[in-house]
Amino acid sequence: MTKQLVRVQSGVAGLDTVLCGGLVQGASYIVQGSPGAGKTILANQIAFHHAKDGGKILYVTLLAESHDRLFQALATFDFYEASAVGRDIFYISLFKVLQEEGLAALVTALRSELARYRCTTLVLDGLLIAKDKAESALDVKTFVAELQSHTAFTGCTVLFLTSARTDDVSPEHTMVDGVIQLKEELAGIRTVRQLRISKSRGSAALGGLHQYRISSVGIDVFPRLEALLGTPSAEEWLDHERVDVGVPGLAPLIGGGLPPASFTLLMGPAGSGKTTFGLNFLGRATPECPALFFGFYESPQRLRAKGRALGIDVEGLERTGALVTIWNPMTENLLDSLGHQLLETVRQRRIHRLFIDGMTGFQRAAVYPARLIEFFTALANELRGHGVSTIATLEMRDLNGLAGTDPLPDFTSLMDNLVLLRQVGLGGELRRFIGVVKMRDSAFDTAFHDVIIGDGGLQVANRLILPGTAERDPVVPSSGAQSSGES
Amino acid sequence: MATVVVIDDETMNADALAFMLSAEGFSVRTAADGEAGLRLVAEVQPDLIITDFMMPVMTGLELAQKLRANAATARIPVILLTAAQAEIGRSHPHLFDVVFEKPCLPSEIVGAVSRLLENENSRGI
Repeated sequence: MTKQLVRVQSGVAGLDTVLCGGLVQGASYIVQGSPGAGKTILANQIAFHHAKDGGKILYVTLLAESHDRLFQALATFDFYEASAVGRDIFYISLFKVLQEEGLAALVTALRSELARYRCTTLVLDGLLIAKDKAESALDVKTFVAELQSHTAFTGCTVLFLTSARTDDVSPEHTMVDGVIQLKEELAGIRTVRQLRISKSRGSAALGGLHQYRISSVGIDVFPRLEALLGTPSAEEWLDHERVDVGVPGLAPLIGGGLPPASFTLLMGPAGSGKTTFGLNFLGRATPECPALFFGFYESPQRLRAKGRALGIDVEGLERTGALVTIWNPMTENLLDSLGHQLLETVRQRRIHRLFIDGMTGFQRAAVYPARLIEFFTALANELRGHGVSTIATLEMRDLNGLAGTDPLPDFTSLMDNLVLLRQVGLGGELRRFIGVVKMRDSAFDTAFHDVIIGDGGLQVANRLILPGTAERDPVVPSSGAQSSGES
Repeated sequence: MATVVVIDDETMNADALAFMLSAEGFSVRTAADGEAGLRLVAEVQPDLIITDFMMPVMTGLELAQKLRANAATARIPVILLTAAQAEIGRSHPHLFDVVFEKPCLPSEIVGAVSRLLENENSRGI
């Protein structure tokens, strides 16, 4: 029978997921990162979490910031609990021991202090200082090995903090069980923080770089979505009932509704009616089958005002729990933070229909745009697995024509359905129209149709007839599909 | 010249305080943990002790308890200078004559040292 390693939860959101279950009890880890990357915050966040769980933590500094400065900085974080200091977490400096007596004496002092407080976690801040005191690589290995043998025996988990770059052959790297690297770098003019587990002995870990954020709650790690959800957590939804889009006149064009749990990309230029289309879709939500508006453009207030103008009661939907609205202004977002926020809300609120306004919000948040295909694949598969019917907008340039579109981004091939909203100036007036480009496993009407935006939102009208090709019909609501294609 | 013993595992803090007190005319000795501090007190018989709280081997609280339990050291004024344990210190007024929470102004510490020593001198008269 396969034995399971005993894990200790770090209390750092996302880190335990990256570590495939948490820190291994009794194991030793190097936390490496340049100054300012967040090593001290990470170690203290873990320490205070362990203290909450009844653990005792010895936090040893060698040549670091003074403890009073440290407490002042920690007091700005939500996880800091002043009463735990000195009761569950013991901060001491052993610099004098190291300086005057060397590494062997430091090991003895650490053993003695760990026993004195019966510690379950040790944080040694300043591995680089200890390393500087060593005369050879063997000294460093001996120091780490002696400390490891003691802590492994007592089940005490160790974090060595260092700002020194550790490579695969550095003596301390070869000795420890795991290496957690924190990187802070510039991507263009923005700062990006990323975490990587570069070593995890005897235990799996999510490979590659994962973004993290430092805020008043401490550190949040966002596991790369495509690494975490290589396969969706739930099987694909296989219902046969079509999903009512809520846009009058559209159903006959698409076989009665959208294929269930499908991902629809709604493309069009600004002003073509994409958000209005979304409000119609969200208007079909009920408290039993709620919807999520995940937007980057309109604030909730503006969305409600837009709803009022169109006769769609957004506030009423929110009040009854039929609609959840999340707005992330398109400023400096983290791609995986957005993905996790969206999926967490879908799971927690049991969302049935989702409107994303729009995909550009994800594109702008991607530091590495090349990964967007993998990201959207993981996101779309997970949404399908949860039975969510998704409509996402994609802003395109207004080419003021009928057939012309921007080159489609690569990820459009991942979408189940493609719907186009366009507008064109004809005979001195702006006409909006809709066309279905692709509909998963379904017959659909390939003809463009006029759309009308007014009270009740957006509705599909008659088949579009261009001036000069036939007598223009008056714009009236559509009676049904007139020709069909299949995709 | 009055002698002050400063006990703090953060030796740079201890050295900075020692420098400041020396400039005020005190004779200052330092130790880096409670046990070493206790040995130093036995050796130099100081007029006043300033101690940190969280330290290796022996905490400032344990140190103060041992000082008070020993007739030879029971009456030496003790100042607790701590970053996070001021409340604990204040709840033991029989152990600590004055409690300072870091960060605090050096002039406040010097003032307290002078005041406590003056009190001791007046009691001696």
